[in-house]
Amino acid sequence: MFAKEWRCELRTRYALSTLGLFAFTTLVVVSVSLGPLGLMKSQGSAVLPILFWIILLFSVAAGLPRAFVQEEESQTAIALRLAATPSSLFCGKLAYGLTVIFALEALITPIYMAIMGLSVRAPGQLILALAVGGYGLAAGSTLVAAIIAQARSKGTLFAVMAFPVLLPLLLLAIELTRNALGGEPSGVALSQLLLYDGAVTIAGLMLFPAVWNP
Amino acid sequence: MDSLKKALPWMLWMWLTAVILGAFLYAPAAVGFRGSSRILFFHVPMAWVSFLAFLTAGVQSLRYLYGGRDRRLDRSAAAAVELGLAFGVLATVTGAMWAKVMWGAYWNWDPRQTSILVALLFYAAYLALRAAIEDGEIRARLAGAYAVLGLVVAPFLYFVMPRMAEFTLHPEPVVNTAGKVDMDGKMVLVLMASLAGFTVLFYWMHNLCCRIQDLTDRTTRSRG
Repeated sequence: MFAKEWRCELRTRYALSTLGLFAFTTLVVVSVSLGPLGLMKSQGSAVLPILFWIILLFSVAAGLPRAFVQEEESQTAIALRLAATPSSLFCGKLAYGLTVIFALEALITPIYMAIMGLSVRAPGQLILALAVGGYGLAAGSTLVAAIIAQARSKGTLFAVMAFPVLLPLLLLAIELTRNALGGEPSGVALSQLLLYDGAVTIAGLMLFPAVWNP
Repeated sequence: MDSLKKALPWMLWMWLTAVILGAFLYAPAAVGFRGSSRILFFHVPMAWVSFLAFLTAGVQSLRYLYGGRDRRLDRSAAAAVELGLAFGVLATVTGAMWAKVMWGAYWNWDPRQTSILVALLFYAAYLALRAAIEDGEIRARLAGAYAVLGLVVAPFLYFVMPRMAEFTLHPEPVVNTAGKVDMDGKMVLVLMASLAGFTVLFYWMHNLCCRIQDLTDRTTRSRG
């Protein structure tokens, strides 16, 4: 499944190029709006992680629903239903979404840090926050994407439905990122975030067959 | 049994009238809250009912998905969400009014305000999803999955939010972590009566909604 996703992606290069560009454009908008002086140091470490995760969230909302919408639109969904078991399909889509998000993070994190003049006290912790937060984003949005693919007005619906689900994740990821910037211990936020990732993954595996099979 | 069913709305009506009278005439106002504490007899049951309604919707969706796909269960979940939203909005508005009187602002991002707001957003999205799907079977399946996802995510709101805010101005729940009741006996009595009344009110309204839905379905089907 995973290999098939990437083969399709590489044929069109839609998700990667458009998403990368989308994330970069948003980043530029945020940076320009803050002005040439940016924020004061003390404000920066509090506010910038928030803006960073919001950029990521909107990039995900712009790109990831396509994973399932495209299957419905090109009418390959029926073939997929025959070819793969629901759980392997879910894992494949999740792995694909995960790599897209990781690629996105790898692209915009250094640029963001450089433009905003952020210094990271605990780089390892930041990478951990990006990995665990990114996984949660992928898991939550993969299931919601599977749901909206069979409805009308897909794009808007995805944002409306995914944001309440992803909100706890977002708050925890922001807290972790903030701690990483300040070099503080990650504390209870990390374990809660891991718990969230686990819960959403299990819910996804459990619910996906019901969502996918008529 | 049939006469009991007919008597139920009247009994409920009298019970809730008694609760309203009790709230204003029998129970004393809490010290330091002036008269504003009386909103508690309505605000708390509303919040409780919306919680109960969302829980009902989740359980009915679970039963629908894993217990035989009976369409009535799906309709029951949808009706519960609609009622839960109505009661949730009422709880939020009464809470905001009280917050203006006591805290000086309608909205403070208190953890409970945040979590009920996110819950309302979630279930509004649930209804938006239902509105976006025409086919009944697909709608039931997808909406059911989303409602169950809500059950999974909800605990995080309740655990994460309070920690984020670090403090809350919200008065302690009646049965708090210490397990003791910190309220005048008369107030507790009225509050409990109100909670019971609102719970029955919810199930009565829910039952009505489900029956209306069943009838509408049957008439549209017989018209073909």
